[in-house]
Amino acid sequence: MKILGISAHYHDSAAALVIDGVPVAAVQEERLSRRKNDAAFPLLSIEWCLDHAGIEPEALDAVVFYERPMLKFDRILTCALRAFPRSWRAFPKAMKNSLGEKVWVRGVISSYLGVPARKVLFTEHHQSHAAAAFLTAPTRRAAILTTDGVGEWATLSIGLGARRPDGAASITLLREVRFPHSLGMLYSTFTAYLGFAVNEGEYKVMGLASYGRPTLVNEVRRLIRRTADGAFALELDYFEFHTTAQRSYSSRFIDLFGPPRSPYEPIDLQTAEGRRFADCAASVQLVLEDTLVEIARALRQETGLPDLCMGGGVALNGVANARILAESGFERLFVPPAPGDAGCALGAALYADRIHFDNPDREVPDHPFWGPAVDGSALAQLAHEDRQPCDELDDSELIERTADDLIAGRIVGWMDGALEFGPRALGHRSILAAPHTADMRDRLNRDIKYREEFRPFAPAVPIEAADRYFELPSGGARLARFMSGVFPVRPEWRTRLAAITHIDGTARLQTVERSMAPRLHALLESYGRRSGIPVLLNTSFNLAGEPIVNRAVEGYSTFRRSGIDVLVAGRTRVVKRASSAMQKEKIACSRSVAG
Amino acid sequence: MRILLRPLHRWIWLDAARRGRKLLCFAETEADGGRHLVRAAEVTPDPLLRRLFLFHARDEQRHAELFRRRGAALLHALSAPPRSGYRADWLAPGERGLDDLRIEELEDGALLAFLHLSEKSAATDFASYRDVLQRDPPTRAVFEEVLRDEAYHMNYTLSQLVRVSAQRHRLLLWRARLSRLWKGYLRLAIALAGVIGGLILTILYFTLLVPFALLAKRVAWREPTGWLPVSSERNASLDRQY
Repeated sequence: MKILGISAHYHDSAAALVIDGVPVAAVQEERLSRRKNDAAFPLLSIEWCLDHAGIEPEALDAVVFYERPMLKFDRILTCALRAFPRSWRAFPKAMKNSLGEKVWVRGVISSYLGVPARKVLFTEHHQSHAAAAFLTAPTRRAAILTTDGVGEWATLSIGLGARRPDGAASITLLREVRFPHSLGMLYSTFTAYLGFAVNEGEYKVMGLASYGRPTLVNEVRRLIRRTADGAFALELDYFEFHTTAQRSYSSRFIDLFGPPRSPYEPIDLQTAEGRRFADCAASVQLVLEDTLVEIARALRQETGLPDLCMGGGVALNGVANARILAESGFERLFVPPAPGDAGCALGAALYADRIHFDNPDREVPDHPFWGPAVDGSALAQLAHEDRQPCDELDDSELIERTADDLIAGRIVGWMDGALEFGPRALGHRSILAAPHTADMRDRLNRDIKYREEFRPFAPAVPIEAADRYFELPSGGARLARFMSGVFPVRPEWRTRLAAITHIDGTARLQTVERSMAPRLHALLESYGRRSGIPVLLNTSFNLAGEPIVNRAVEGYSTFRRSGIDVLVAGRTRVVKRASSAMQKEKIACSRSVAG
Repeated sequence: MRILLRPLHRWIWLDAARRGRKLLCFAETEADGGRHLVRAAEVTPDPLLRRLFLFHARDEQRHAELFRRRGAALLHALSAPPRSGYRADWLAPGERGLDDLRIEELEDGALLAFLHLSEKSAATDFASYRDVLQRDPPTRAVFEEVLRDEAYHMNYTLSQLVRVSAQRHRLLLWRARLSRLWKGYLRLAIALAGVIGGLILTILYFTLLVPFALLAKRVAWREPTGWLPVSSERNASLDRQY
């Protein structure tokens, strides 16, 4: 059975193809269109998935959209009506936005792909999250917790997932919290208040939180109260996201927390103003963590199950995830590599396969590499055309040479095999560097990532060695498989791992298993033999404002425009010429223009 | 025309808050333009063009940073935080024209023609702004620096256009002119349609929706907070859109 899953129209659209119960392809539209957070209907992704599997759209048994568009429209219209007359500015925008394409999804899919409308199915948004979390996790029975900004109406759901001995799988959502009461929206409101882009800058709030003290916790708790049944409700007087399109917080919010930060002003942590913003971030982070831990603890007590599967954008908060693992009583916590909306494409397809069509459950390969593969020969051709020094090496020599580069302090762009599905670079489209000094962190921030200095870099470590350098609780190594948890760096290693140790002594590590990423694992071991520490700094292979690179040519253009010293794609290794040579090249280009 | 518009530009650039906001807007447009040029470098089969587009993209990024810094400095220097006011983008547009460009669908010649005209138009606009900014030397200096690069960009795009399409470069330039005109018309038409649509929806909002709004408010008051059970029937079928 061939099932295509699609997520689109909000942020991070994607497509995923499941054949006979197993994913064969999944990719986010932004990686192909090269538009960051591309929310457009994912035609390029669909085309790639079908091409990769060698099938035509007519061969599809079903196309599953990741949410119910009319239910979502119902929420948008209802909220506009409830906020009457304050919503008079937002209403025309919301209607134009919804009525253009978003509510006609069945027709849009049918006409783009040429499939009959009856083959187009719809899962609920949180069902898709739940399926992406549970059906990809190596567990037989688990509690499920999905939480994000909002889907149709639900903002947080809890449920149960089970794989029965007869091969049938089930996902049962038990309860939900509905919009506008939303942990995701609470966090996003602070993201906007702190001057970062919503749906993009939440990582920055989490990074900034470590620099502050939660001195404003009582104020944040005035924004969110716990209900008698153990859920929560927002005090809506402090918010405007549900009534206007202009801003997400109200004047009362500003009275409570002070003036918001201008997005164009840097955060100076030496000033009282900068510290106030950091304290805001620390406070909302703590309240988010406390709320999630309490909900998870109650879920554990209710279900008695040892495993928890988490999905939704909030599951990208690694600090909260680590606390849930440590404090809720669950023994294992599974967060998929793409817990956000992009992952819903895969979740929707798997849900349709297992639950709607009642197909027997099949083991889903436990890795995130479902995208296009990189072609080293394409890089070699580009390098030859530009007269860049280039080698084509066998695998072991390439690993050794790259380890030599890293030990010499060079920054390496590393492209290997199929592209990751999800927001994290997990060793197939990564920028790698030595993790030992703060200078390296500053250099990466300054010359490559062009980003705020308070944002941490992540380490990658072989799973066998992780416990030596990081304080991992039971189940921590699993959570770190897809970089989903933040854990303390052991105090004795912090000075020698300064580039990846955050201000609070933690790191969002990736534990690398040989079977999942054999070349990265080999590189870590090789680097460990040279440095004595098999840990590398691993950050996503992109520049600020751009999606993670996909093909060799995109890696090459990033390499040319940034301070990356060495680029590896497949078995091809390109070394950047000295800056004087680059200058000569620019002059030669200018001459050729003049000539 | 440029001389006629000078008093208007002088008025637009007089207010420091508006100046700051406009520069921040230019910063975003330049950064976007830079990303388009990166994409152009990635899709062109011509190695020389690839190198030139990458250098050009770096220039655009640098311009974005120059505009961003100066815009932020202007806003920072204001005693009171600026209200978000009218920016007069139609009258003082800055660099634009790459926003609705589909790089992958254009041949090198067509793209170069489009870039050449965009750079030329931006250079003309920026020169006008520089000329009315005598009282703000730092902002004027930013425009002067950007203008130096724009001159180079205009030259290289034209010379490369002649190189890659020796026979057809005039035709491509005319096509690009017409395409810019058409896109300008489309922008105007979309904006106008947006205004008309918004007006109709606003009228509906204040007339047709009033009783429904009252009903919705009444229901909202009675709606419980906290956990709500998920009925098993709700998810029984995947055929429904609601």
